[in-house]
Amino acid sequence: MSRRQAPADARQALADALTAEYAAIYAYGPIGVRLTGADRRGARSAEAAHRARRDALVLQLSAGGGQVPADRAGYALPFPVTDRAEALRLAVEIEERTAAFWRAVLPVTSGADRTRALNALTDCAVWATRWRRAARVTPVTVAFPGRPG
Amino acid sequence: MVLTCPVATGRRTANSGESGRTRRTVLRAGALLAAGGSTGPLTGCDLFDGDEPPPPPDPLEPLAGESRELAARHRAAIAADPGLADRLTPIAEAHAAHADEIHRLIGRPAPSGAATGGATPTPGGRAALLAALREAEQRGRQSAAKACAEAPGERAALLGSVAAARATHVEALT
Repeated sequence: MSRRQAPADARQALADALTAEYAAIYAYGPIGVRLTGADRRGARSAEAAHRARRDALVLQLSAGGGQVPADRAGYALPFPVTDRAEALRLAVEIEERTAAFWRAVLPVTSGADRTRALNALTDCAVWATRWRRAARVTPVTVAFPGRPG
Repeated sequence: MVLTCPVATGRRTANSGESGRTRRTVLRAGALLAAGGSTGPLTGCDLFDGDEPPPPPDPLEPLAGESRELAARHRAAIAADPGLADRLTPIAEAHAAHADEIHRLIGRPAPSGAATGGATPTPGGRAALLAALREAEQRGRQSAAKACAEAPGERAALLGSVAAARATHVEALT
């Protein structure tokens, strides 16, 4: 754990996590408009968490002095979101997907960086569980959040 | 970044993934700082076989034990309140899968028979049962997060998944 990681690895993993966060923020746009009430409030809250992590990553990667991946105007969604069920299904997918990118940060970081990555992985996993419950998907949990399936 | 190929549905519980590299030889040699990839020269186990004392416990043994204990707690809760089976069985299975994966990482099998017995059901109704499980998962989340923070890189991903899973259990029990 005291081993110094090759900076390129951690930097690449964090840059990948940043692009995943950009995509998640984008996806919550179409998700949010198909939800109402508590679901919509949840979507806002989840999106805010992705935005906070995006901002922190942009700062962190900028401080390193290298290239910071840029956000794009749009991202291809895996399926069209036309109703609540599809919105919830996409929300689950987005959180699982983002969790996988944060999990990939863990092996190449240590200390505070790893702790932040674990907190992000955990937050995404918990949101995936909340969205599965909202969608009445069972079980609401997976055994290894973020692990490539 | 294209979202069309979903990554990581995370539904598999066995076989894929974590390094199966044995750590035993490294630990026996006292190389506790094992920084990964350095097991090469010692892969012939017979070098240390014979009258050697048993290897020192792996720092992840307690976490694996905690996974087995959590699995047993959930099973005991199901026995006390079978109506909770649908909700708690996947969680019990996840803990058992965690224990297996941690032991794979350690390179030693779980002690036999360790998962049976032990956990006694909490007195009180369903709410008390669930509250006790939530507390146990919350404590478990903290210990797994600590283990993840302290682990060498090659162990961090699995331990992160274990910590995150325990956090989702707290949510699922709410």
